[in-house]
Amino acid sequence: MTSQTGDLVTPWSDTRVSLPRHLYVHVPLCSSRCSYCDFFSTVDDGLPEHAAVVGHTVALLRGWLTPQVRWSALETLYIGGGTPTVLGPHLVQLIRSLTALIPLASEAEVTVEANPESFTPALASALAAEGVTRVSIGVQSLDDSALVGLGRCHDSATALAAITAGVDAGLDVSADLICGVPGVSAEAWERSLRGVVEAGVSHVSVYPLTVEAATPLARAIEAGETLAPDEDAVVDGMHAAAAVLGELGFDRYEVANYARPGHRSLHNTAYWTGKPYIGIGGGAHGMVDGAQARALGLAPEEGGDIGRARYAYAAHVLPGDQLQPLSSIEHLTVAEAAREDAMLGMRMSEGISEGLAVRARVTPALESLVADGLVTFADGRWRPTERGWLFGNEVFSRIWGVVG
Amino acid sequence: MTDPTLIRNFSIIAHIDHGKSTLADRVLQLTHTVADRDMQEQLLDSMDIERERGITIKAQAVRVMYDADDGQTYQLNLIDTPGHVDFTYEVSRSLAACEGVILVVDAAQGVEAQTVANAQMAMNAHLEIIPLINKIDLPAADPERVRHEIEEGLAIPADEAVLASGKTGEGVRDALEAVVRLVPHPVGDPEAPLKALIFDSYFDAYRGVVALIRVVDGSVSKGLKIKMMATSTVTDVEEVGVRRPANIPVDTLGVGEVGYLITGLKDPSLVKVGDTVTLARHGATQQLPGYREVKPMVFTGLFPIDGDQYPDLRDALERLQLNDPALIWDPESSHALGFGFRVGFLGLLHMEVVKERLEREFGLDLLATAPSVEYHAYRVKGDMIVVHSPQDMPDPGHLDHVEEPYLKATVLVPPDYVGAVMELADQRRGTFRDMQYLSATTVELHYEMPLSELIMDFFDQLKSRTKGYASLDYEYIGYRASELVKLDILLAGKPVDALSFVVHKDKAYARGKVLTEKLREIIPRQMFEVPIQAAIGAKIISRETVRAMRKDVIAKCYGGDISRKRKLLEKQKAGKKRMKSVGSVDIPQEAFMAILKVDE
Ligand SMILES: Nc1nc2c(ncn2[C@@H]2O[C@H](COP(=O)(O)OP(=O)(O)O)[C@@H](O)[C@H]2O)c(=O)[nH]1
Ligand code: SF4
Ligand SMILES: [Mg+2]
Repeated sequence: MTSQTGDLVTPWSDTRVSLPRHLYVHVPLCSSRCSYCDFFSTVDDGLPEHAAVVGHTVALLRGWLTPQVRWSALETLYIGGGTPTVLGPHLVQLIRSLTALIPLASEAEVTVEANPESFTPALASALAAEGVTRVSIGVQSLDDSALVGLGRCHDSATALAAITAGVDAGLDVSADLICGVPGVSAEAWERSLRGVVEAGVSHVSVYPLTVEAATPLARAIEAGETLAPDEDAVVDGMHAAAAVLGELGFDRYEVANYARPGHRSLHNTAYWTGKPYIGIGGGAHGMVDGAQARALGLAPEEGGDIGRARYAYAAHVLPGDQLQPLSSIEHLTVAEAAREDAMLGMRMSEGISEGLAVRARVTPALESLVADGLVTFADGRWRPTERGWLFGNEVFSRIWGVVG
Repeated sequence: MTDPTLIRNFSIIAHIDHGKSTLADRVLQLTHTVADRDMQEQLLDSMDIERERGITIKAQAVRVMYDADDGQTYQLNLIDTPGHVDFTYEVSRSLAACEGVILVVDAAQGVEAQTVANAQMAMNAHLEIIPLINKIDLPAADPERVRHEIEEGLAIPADEAVLASGKTGEGVRDALEAVVRLVPHPVGDPEAPLKALIFDSYFDAYRGVVALIRVVDGSVSKGLKIKMMATSTVTDVEEVGVRRPANIPVDTLGVGEVGYLITGLKDPSLVKVGDTVTLARHGATQQLPGYREVKPMVFTGLFPIDGDQYPDLRDALERLQLNDPALIWDPESSHALGFGFRVGFLGLLHMEVVKERLEREFGLDLLATAPSVEYHAYRVKGDMIVVHSPQDMPDPGHLDHVEEPYLKATVLVPPDYVGAVMELADQRRGTFRDMQYLSATTVELHYEMPLSELIMDFFDQLKSRTKGYASLDYEYIGYRASELVKLDILLAGKPVDALSFVVHKDKAYARGKVLTEKLREIIPRQMFEVPIQAAIGAKIISRETVRAMRKDVIAKCYGGDISRKRKLLEKQKAGKKRMKSVGSVDIPQEAFMAILKVDE
């Protein structure tokens, strides 16, 4: 302020670009493969060795630490998969190594994805001691025959024990549930919903069973060996979840996510609100803003209207593979980034602000959605209606501008 | 110029797939017109669509030089013709440039419907007919039976029919010998003023209109001032030449010769097929008899799926018309589909071919409405309205009566299937005329029936009900009064004009019902329930409902999913592009064709 020369650069000012405050780490191993799954993951048969997976993952992270960038303390860290808990004690070590490289902010949310068969009380307390605050458990159902049909390698008792292990270790526990599984009655579905809540979860994610191409489930349906999910059952299941969990004090804050007050997933909320994040590991994605993209060499150093860059790792990144095998980099303009935020924001009950809608130039699309009963406007915010959630594709397409 | 006594002009005619184009290939090889290494199957079928579908759409003229057994070298002008009934007019034009034909008959299939039709055309034109029994290499070949069919059924002497195989080349020389021996050489007056017939034309982007001509009297060479008699267009000859099959310029085309003529004219309407070319000054006064006008029989609405492509569609139609004078169109607008064109075609194959070329060669995305015929609607107040599109049919209250085009349909079929053919013809409002045995194995049936019934999947039905044995030919015989009604289709309570069709009143209920059922299967579930109704005037005759979809959401969307899901939405959009949104309802293209596949 006092200098009039203006060309003096204070020698100690840090010109490095600050990196995202959200980190996702993908562990592509599972005990076995579920019939409906199309995530990148391989069966954990001891190879690659767990220690090698940890080493490789840490090396991947180190690859991002170039002289042009600096890390800020992480607000959220999410270890997902796959099934990170198959790493057992090595998972604890992985988190220790990662946080040694990048510090966690105080109050940081650290989530580990878990599957019941590999989430033991011992592991739960070891993780909690390492700074993990939250565990997201793939329960999917408390109906044992449904679990068999889905190709899950655990039963409902194991799932409930896993929840208890998390709760006892002082973790925030979330359960994933799948609705619309053929053969599961409305009563059985409601039992699953109430069962996980009684076991102590503070967060539930509810996904309709989706038949992804080229999965064993898709083949079984094709071959007539198993029933395809029935649309009515799926929708009824979604409605039942909203009703039951609402009654139990959960707030539906995103189309598929319910939380007790104060227990939302901050990491996932970052995805829906346009916060940059780094993702590492096979098949993982990341999103950085224009300045970060330039500093990381993900965009030309100058020129171009780059609002954000999205990148993806190739789906085969395992120990032994190269360290920077990004399979795709995509640039969005500032306007496109705003439109993407508008689209994602409409997944959430909060919707989006009037200001964002204006910046994204999507007000006319939103107005047409209001006319069709898919969106409401109140208190300066555009929000999805229940019907808007059910017909999300219509909402997102119109906002993204691919229809009309 | 060649001495006319050493010229032979002939066409190869046959039912589709009896081997005309393959035979032409062998002639090109035998006369060394095309080197063996440049040879490819059905070489004269040069359009992509012809090569893919294995059919000839456009007649092709080519000149070959043939060293005959008598020691002389003859100039043979050969025209390969299409066999499909839609393109009969191409055959008739080709015949006008010839003195004779080779009538090819498949040794296994025998005489089929277009064999009869083409042979009759050649007879009416007083041409020498050389029967050729082809594909004698086939195990199922039965030349004796076929010889008998030709004699009995067509009344053409066949004891000297050439036995040949376009595949092995056997008999091809015999065929050319027969041409030299039997086809009369052209006769004309070399001293008289030029008289040449334009029997075909095509458009070349660099050279303008290229006319294919047959010189009758006089001669034509570069630099000559000529006149197109019908259009009184005077122009200079830029180039004359012959097709071998590539264009080879020559100095002069004389009496009896076939070749091409380039004038530099760019407007095809000035160079009319059927017109006579003569000298600009002191020319002939009498035109050669022109050909019958080609008249489109089948009309369909063509609409760009993306409304912005409307001007492109117009340009594309204009470009195609340069090579296809049979194509006509008028602008049409539909509440449901926006702006497009009502396009007239010779038949369904012609329609398919044109639509495919528009999409493929011009990159257009088109939606076609179900084909319809030209109705004559007589109003109470005494006037007549020509209706090319069901939506233009006047209200029943104003109508005195409606007439529709009728055909004489000829079906050739083995005796075992006569019953099946009769049943089908009955369902399609056919009136039986007569039936005769061409041989012990082939029966010829004649029906009179409305063209509108024939374009409704009749041919496919005929084929499937006769295990593929039946063949069909037809000719237009005139307009007849019928009790017709317009059937409207309503989606979500709103009439969709592009789905309306005209139907005989006795069939209206049945077709309305089947069509609404079909539409229920075709129209995808939408966010709202979509009632489908068929109505005559204000009266609803059938109703179906497409249930509402209950959800359409990508349930999971975390960090890794975002780009993928965005792309998915874009892909869905591409899928939707193949549909037309009418009001709030997305209608897939097949819906507009569903009426064609309605079989009671
Ligand atoms: N076996 C056999 N097949 C033939 C012969 N001539 C033509 N073909 C086949 O018959 C089909 C129709 O031939 P094409 O020349 O296109 O018939 P076009 O429709 O009359 O021009 C093709 O698959 C030919 O390969 C022949 O002499 N013998
Ligand atoms: S545990 Fe999860 S990631 Fe692993 S196979 Fe099952 S669904 Fe897929
Ligand atoms: Mg052919």
